Amino acid sequence: MSAEAVQDEYYHDLSYREGTPLVGTREGVALYHESTGEGVAITTLNNFFFTAPFWRDYTDELAKHYRVVSYDLANHGHSTRLEQEPTWEEHVADLVGLLDALEIDSTYLLASSASTQLARDVALAHPDRVRGLVLAGPVVGPQIRRHRMLQRAWLRTLNSNDIPVLFSHMYPEFVSTQMIEEYGVPGYLGLRESFVAMSTPEELNNGLALAQQGDPSSELLTRIQAPTLIALGDDDILLGPTAGHELAALFPNGRCVIMPKAGHVPFLDDVLGFQELVRKFIEEAEDNA
Amino acid sequence: MPDTAAEVRQQIREVLVGVFGGPSFVSQLQDAGSLREAGVPSTALVALLVAMEDAFGFQWDDDVRPEVLRSIDSLAGHVLALRN
Repeated sequence: MSAEAVQDEYYHDLSYREGTPLVGTREGVALYHESTGEGVAITTLNNFFFTAPFWRDYTDELAKHYRVVSYDLANHGHSTRLEQEPTWEEHVADLVGLLDALEIDSTYLLASSASTQLARDVALAHPDRVRGLVLAGPVVGPQIRRHRMLQRAWLRTLNSNDIPVLFSHMYPEFVSTQMIEEYGVPGYLGLRESFVAMSTPEELNNGLALAQQGDPSSELLTRIQAPTLIALGDDDILLGPTAGHELAALFPNGRCVIMPKAGHVPFLDDVLGFQELVRKFIEEAEDNA
Repeated sequence: MPDTAAEVRQQIREVLVGVFGGPSFVSQLQDAGSLREAGVPSTALVALLVAMEDAFGFQWDDDVRPEVLRSIDSLAGHVLALRN
């Protein structure tokens, strides 16, 4: 890959927008957020490895059609730091508080990996606030045990080493085979640099520990009435295509779309294809609303 | 092929000029300063790493430590260490 091609391929502007006021959500908690575009809202949910600015490059096309809201979870990024990591319930309350503050009655939730559990919990606790779910590389449902085992291994690596070593452990697991081949070592090092810049060891430790918690019951999914799209890479080592379709079938209004050669975070592999998938899903859901 | 640290640093700067499409930003970079803190995004870092492979005739190893990629100084030190 030439330097020019790499330049086009990688753009991770992780800078925060200066002067953005934090939004109070509950006592002692204020969240950093970004809101781009107008119309029906899409709210992105960080999976403990991302920060709010990370989403810009993966939602820029969606922001031409919708209002895209990204925010940092409490105790992460530029949001309020707390003595204890919030529970899932508190993260749910924060999201609802954010929606209230931004005067968003209801929203689509766009979640990735560990944050699909948060999306599920919001949809269960506040169904009136959720227009639909997009679960990219979901870790809810019958396969959650494997994901938690993997995250425990990542946690052990982090606590025994440091973030760069954790990244070396995670990279071949969450990135697709095709992307690893195409990006080569310089791409790996560049992504690692972004990864290291986004989180502190404490943030990752807290997030990975929280991801071990929460109700693993598949039955919960059968109660979610909101339209649900599962976007699954067929090179996602945590969930194969067959299991992805079985997972979607648990949702009363769910479907699974397989993204060829994509990994556990499928929008990394096909930025535009993923956004088009989401746009069509929302278009259809709005038509049926 | 540059042999001294000063020559290697200068060649890295020339590579960076190519990455950024001009000398104005690169001229403000300090040799020992953090590239990220100076505003070099990861995209430019990756482009720099690819270009350095061509310019200096080596291939990056994926276990190189992050501090090697921190500054022009540390990058130059890595190039010279590989030669020695």
